[in-house]
Amino acid sequence: MRVLAVSGGLGLLYAVALGAGLAASRTLPWALGAVLPCYLAGLSLCWKAPGHPVARRLLAVGSWAALGLVVRFTVAFLGSAAGWVPGPAVSWPLLLLARMVDVVAAVMVARLLALLPDGREHHPYERVALRSLWLLLAAPLVVMLVPMPLWLRLRLLVQPEAWMPAVGAGLLVVRSVLDTRRSGARNAGRWRTVAAAAFALFAGRGSMRLFRMWQGDDGPAYFIGCALGALPYVVVSAGLVYGAFRHRLPGLDFTARRSTVYGLLWTIIGGWYLGMVTALGLTASQYLPISAAVLVAVSVTMLCQPLRRQANRLAARHVFGVRPSNFELLVQFGTTLEHAYDLTLLAPQLAVSLQEWLDLRWVRVELGTSGPGRLPSADGTAGVPPDGAGSSRTRVGLCYGDDALGFIEYGPKDEGRFTPEDRDLVETLARQAALAVHNARLNAELSIRIEEVQRQASELNASRTRLVQAQDTERRRIERQLHDGIQQELVALVAKLRLARNQLCRNGDTVYTTLTELQDDACRVIDGLRELAHGIHPPVLTDQGLAAAVMSRARRLPIPVTVEIEPSVRPARFTPDIEEAAFFLVSEAFTNVLKHARAGRVTVRIGRAGGSLLLDVSDDGVGLCPTTGPGSGLTGMRDRIEAVGGELSIISRPGDGTTLRARITETRRETTDV
Amino acid sequence: MSEPMSGRMRVVIAEDHYLVREGTRRLLEDTGEVVVVAAVGTADELLDAVHRFRPDAVIADIRMPPDHHTEGITAAHAIRAAHPGIGVVVLSQHANEQYAFALFQHGTDGLAYLLKERIGELEELLRALREVAAGRSVIDPRIVEVLVGSLTRTTDAPLSQLTRRELDVLRHMAQGKNNRSIAESLSLSESTIEKHVNSTFAKLGLAEETQLHRRVTAVLTYLRYGPEPAP
Repeated sequence: MRVLAVSGGLGLLYAVALGAGLAASRTLPWALGAVLPCYLAGLSLCWKAPGHPVARRLLAVGSWAALGLVVRFTVAFLGSAAGWVPGPAVSWPLLLLARMVDVVAAVMVARLLALLPDGREHHPYERVALRSLWLLLAAPLVVMLVPMPLWLRLRLLVQPEAWMPAVGAGLLVVRSVLDTRRSGARNAGRWRTVAAAAFALFAGRGSMRLFRMWQGDDGPAYFIGCALGALPYVVVSAGLVYGAFRHRLPGLDFTARRSTVYGLLWTIIGGWYLGMVTALGLTASQYLPISAAVLVAVSVTMLCQPLRRQANRLAARHVFGVRPSNFELLVQFGTTLEHAYDLTLLAPQLAVSLQEWLDLRWVRVELGTSGPGRLPSADGTAGVPPDGAGSSRTRVGLCYGDDALGFIEYGPKDEGRFTPEDRDLVETLARQAALAVHNARLNAELSIRIEEVQRQASELNASRTRLVQAQDTERRRIERQLHDGIQQELVALVAKLRLARNQLCRNGDTVYTTLTELQDDACRVIDGLRELAHGIHPPVLTDQGLAAAVMSRARRLPIPVTVEIEPSVRPARFTPDIEEAAFFLVSEAFTNVLKHARAGRVTVRIGRAGGSLLLDVSDDGVGLCPTTGPGSGLTGMRDRIEAVGGELSIISRPGDGTTLRARITETRRETTDV
Repeated sequence: MSEPMSGRMRVVIAEDHYLVREGTRRLLEDTGEVVVVAAVGTADELLDAVHRFRPDAVIADIRMPPDHHTEGITAAHAIRAAHPGIGVVVLSQHANEQYAFALFQHGTDGLAYLLKERIGELEELLRALREVAAGRSVIDPRIVEVLVGSLTRTTDAPLSQLTRRELDVLRHMAQGKNNRSIAESLSLSESTIEKHVNSTFAKLGLAEETQLHRRVTAVLTYLRYGPEPAP
């Protein structure tokens, strides 16, 4: 292989040097436009993937074509140097040799094309068909030996290699069709299209050769022939280089710098362009004086410059992709961030973007995963991170202030090294992502808070309504008791007083009894008033505080009550609203126990812990019915407790008693000495 | 102003409601047993009158200006501290033992807690005045009724130091029995009962007071903190 490469290179150098010497050489365009690209492409592919059949074949084609050039140029040089016009006896063997070399090159191109993309034979017929192509080598001999007119002999001699690329492309079409049928490969459709396009192109090229033979080899036909003749080599070379790099031809697994690939494509395009321009100049010189021809060539070169630039740009875009600047990346990512309410979308997007922009093997992004559970978090991965811890990886933390909000982790670049600019880019993106996570968190926290506040607001509304209703009900009760109870009794007292007066006037004996009754009645009214007043507000609560009021209330219960009041609670005074709410709770709990619980015993515990007043009323009654839920009495208690910033929990199981447990944050008043 | 009639009790009335104050004064003076040497409307006036007239006893409303809370109790403590010979009857509209406890918190001697409507039971009121003037103590039957009827117990009771037998004795004491009838009820000797009574007084910190008032205080303590927890 090395021998092939070296000899090809030497041959090429020799040919170009010689060709430049031969001013009017018509073969120079061919050397620049076809052989040089082919050789270079083969050389670089072989260098990167030495064992690959396609690479080997391409280099072989290039080298062989270079050899062909050597032969031709040597013949031409010798001819012009010696100054003789070779007669048939001398020229025949030389001509034959040149033809043979061309045929071999053409067959090699056909084999190269037919066995794409992996360079191996898939079907038995391919081996037969491709081997039989070598029979064409015999064609010149046959032509030589079989007697026929000279013109026919010449025509036959120059024909075969013109068709070979088309034959190769045709075989490739057949092969891709068969392959699809067999394996249903995914990319087969595209291959078939490429192959068919190549076949059409190369068949056109073959036809053109026929046209040239018929019309003569001069003038525009020469130029077109040069262009078309070089076409298969250029197209195949550029196609293979691009394909190998971009699409990873099977088995052609190599990494190359994008710049290398681009440089190669640039050289191929440049060589072909130079060849074509030379051909144009040569064509022009046939019609015009040398100076004019040079002028034409230069101006056409200038005019065609945009074409070449376009081709180069095309190659650059395909090799490098659309690669935006770091600034553009940041702007793009910033736009993405604007819509980054959803971290589950952002994380994969960030991972994929970073991987694409920086050519990283893999990227893993974790957003917000290091925080508490309820806050949003997400992760995203691009590429496949290796399992082992030993593999090279870099981790950039996402920090907002002192908060760690996740990280970006990435592997090495596909090619090349990580530059400081790349690192800056990652760190800038990490900062932006941290900001996004922070914002998403704020957002989430805010919506949690808002939900909470809304819930509290509606609960507060309901509770306020209930409290107002309870107050109204209580006022109506007091009014009823005053009017229907005490006032009526006072009216009765008045009536009885009138009776006493009557009795006094008539007969003083019975008035003593009546007056005694009157006194008892009045005492009853006082009792009634006392109870009413106590019901409105127990004076002992105001005068002596919660512990005394609870004890007093407990003593009037007809069932055993155990009161456990922490010593620190006894003398303590709390703000009136807390004392009232706490006493109301105990009092209502007692009322409920008596009404519903059928309890044998009640226990009240009052304690203090952590700046809170703790109340606990439990009974051994029947418990609450789990299906009906808390009744209005319990709701009222809860409202009262929550109105002073406390909370009430109700623990109850059927048959197992009920426990009311309240916690009220203390606001202490003074301590009395009771 | 001194009263020459030595058989009649000299009393100061403190009551902010004019009609009640004058009604009580008329009622008491009507009996011929009491001379009302002053009738005032506030606790400050009461202390002033006590200081000037040195009565035998005082009738004080529990609620008086300016705050209408327990000014009567505070005044009673002040009077007892300044003049141990003057008894104080506190008339209260609260049928609530907590006020009685508040009144008796420094000792029961010379103090009475009566519901206001007791002025209708004139004999009761006169008896209470005599008792406090003699340095004894009276508590309204309604309060005792509540305490005796109560099924409440507390866990921090000073009674927890007492033995079961001492509690038995105390329970009988609370029913108004003297040592002899307690001895009969428990089938013990009277001297044993007396020993239990004395050790109960000692445990409740009542060693310094007179026999009768120790008894009242012990019973009050018992009633206040409730019987021994049921097993």
